[in-house]
Amino acid sequence: MLLIACPWCGERDEVEFHYGGQAHVAYPSDPEALSDAEWAQYLFVRDNPKGPFAERWSHAAGCRRWFNVVRHTVTHEILAVHPAGRPKPVIA
Amino acid sequence: MTVDGLRRSPLGDLPETLGHGVRLREIPFLTQLNLRLAPGGGAAARVAEVLGAALPTEPNTVTDSGDLRLLWLGPDEWLIVGPDGAAPDTEGRIRTALPGEHACLVDVSANRTTLELSGPGARTVLEKGCALDLHPRAFTPGRCAQTLVSKVNVVLDQLDAEPRYRLLVRGSFARYLADWLLDAMSDTALIG
Amino acid sequence: MSHELPEHPDWLWRTPDPKRAYDVVIVGAGGHGLATAYYLARDHGITDVAVLERGWLAGGNMARNTTIIRSNYLCDASAAIYEHALKLWETLPEELEYDFLFSQRGVLNLAHTLQDVREGIRRVHANRLGGIDAQWLDPDEVRAFCPIVNTSPEVRYPVLGATLQPRAGIAKHDHVAWALARKADAYGIDLIQGCEVTGFVRDGERVVGVETTRGRIGAGRVALAAAGHTSTLADLLGLRLPLQSHPLQALVSELLEPVHPTVVMSNHVHVYVSQAHKGELVMGAGIDSYNGYGQRGSFHQIEHQMAAALELFPIFARAHVLRTWGGIVDVTPDASPIIGSTPIENLYLNCGWGTGGFKATPASGRVYADTIATGTPHPLAAPFALERFTTGALIDEHGAAAVAH
Repeated sequence: MLLIACPWCGERDEVEFHYGGQAHVAYPSDPEALSDAEWAQYLFVRDNPKGPFAERWSHAAGCRRWFNVVRHTVTHEILAVHPAGRPKPVIA
Repeated sequence: MTVDGLRRSPLGDLPETLGHGVRLREIPFLTQLNLRLAPGGGAAARVAEVLGAALPTEPNTVTDSGDLRLLWLGPDEWLIVGPDGAAPDTEGRIRTALPGEHACLVDVSANRTTLELSGPGARTVLEKGCALDLHPRAFTPGRCAQTLVSKVNVVLDQLDAEPRYRLLVRGSFARYLADWLLDAMSDTALIG
Repeated sequence: MSHELPEHPDWLWRTPDPKRAYDVVIVGAGGHGLATAYYLARDHGITDVAVLERGWLAGGNMARNTTIIRSNYLCDASAAIYEHALKLWETLPEELEYDFLFSQRGVLNLAHTLQDVREGIRRVHANRLGGIDAQWLDPDEVRAFCPIVNTSPEVRYPVLGATLQPRAGIAKHDHVAWALARKADAYGIDLIQGCEVTGFVRDGERVVGVETTRGRIGAGRVALAAAGHTSTLADLLGLRLPLQSHPLQALVSELLEPVHPTVVMSNHVHVYVSQAHKGELVMGAGIDSYNGYGQRGSFHQIEHQMAAALELFPIFARAHVLRTWGGIVDVTPDASPIIGSTPIENLYLNCGWGTGGFKATPASGRVYADTIATGTPHPLAAPFALERFTTGALIDEHGAAAVAH
């Protein structure tokens, strides 16, 4: 059971949120220049770390805003919450 | 012909119901306008002027202007709630503040109906299905929230310290939510 | 169907120290790893094999699944490999000389919406064309087959029909692992527990061994069979895979008298329920939407699952949940596994079985062993190659995989 701190609404139960997978995955700047393998990497492959993971969440049942969270995938500890568009915070 | 004879509220057959220290009724057909614009800009200032109250910028708070309530829904989004029939006039007034602005105003009155839950036992009833901290130290008149009550999306608005809450709920979920609230109200051990 | 648990022999396998090197090193002693070892020996005479396990034998998803065995998948490639598994399951207890309580009591997949009905009937036709037993049951036939399912039209999601695979069923998961382990051990294969792989030894583009918590072990070929932990291992080689690891939960009730004659699955209200031989109800929940390695899931998934179970089975209203747990499943973008070689020479991959790996255990092991032994993909494994994500030849089984993703 996660308690996620929405940057706008504060701490809410995880059932109010929608998960968006890995954060900071940029759309390729020139998709047509990519090889099939590179396109497959962009389309299908995401990090899957055992440890801190920067990921996107949307406060779907609340203010409906997207934001980013750094969460530890083993302990579920939330290490940082940062607004969408900001760089990933450095986690020691 | 007026629409009065044609329109039906989702809970038109719900009688006002009294429980132990708690009362539930539907307030149908409230005016609801969804407004989106950049906060803190010229448009926001002009809207505040025509409505006579500032759009709240603190998350999950409400400002009052006469019989209108201005609910924060997001950093650039508000719900303006007023009495039945106020939509055309309110929309017209707000539109005068928006020419040339990057803004969006939509009449969403038909989207939701409103349940009013009030009385000293109202908080206890609500807490049975709502994960928010509704204790007065955390949630007071003037606060609102979009959240889940028994899995149903609601806009929750606390009107006074009685406490009196409004739950704005989508039409197709209204019957379920009303039934759930009636069931929650039936617990006689609520008020000591 | 057996009712008695078999007596255990005094020992099932040795506890060897690792040798300096093996022809094949399998990483992960779950069902798939053990089956791979068994078939390497049985089909290919390859017995210079070690199966390395960081925890204890069959203590991961093999100990945590809901033991459902069926082959009624939609796509030809999946139906073929799961049906191959089902045929192997039918002969394995005798072959392994171990009664692991394989019980072909049938699996019902319920339909609650018109779309469910269409999908179910389509799948029945597809299965029959592929030579797989499949029937469509109307609600009365569902009630006749499984009287405890609530087929009242009054519920929120009424049962409009169901697919039935009569040869499907359940087995005792621990016994499956022990049966495979005993035979693999008898072939001289080393099953090494408490031995975690911490790195790989490379010679240029080739893998030539693994670093472990019990020292370096040389390997002619390295075969991963580590389910939810595959990406963590592949990361050590700089190999990025289309896998995401999620907790998947299951639960059991206390022991009850036999009341549930079959296996019931419902995609729509999301529940799958059977009754194990001892009498406990075994139920599966959905996966958590977010990545996790914690072997525990969110409470609301259990809550949701219980609500669904009670709607379908009012008779369970007074049953108690005895235990809940989570396993780490590795999910691919098309809900189908990845089997085959990798861009790194001598490194083989068998992963991505997601929420449905148990039922595939013997076929997975057999085609993986064949692929490792011959260096070319087994025909049943070929469609599941890693390259499909580049070619676009995906095998979309989100529907028939039957667990909410």
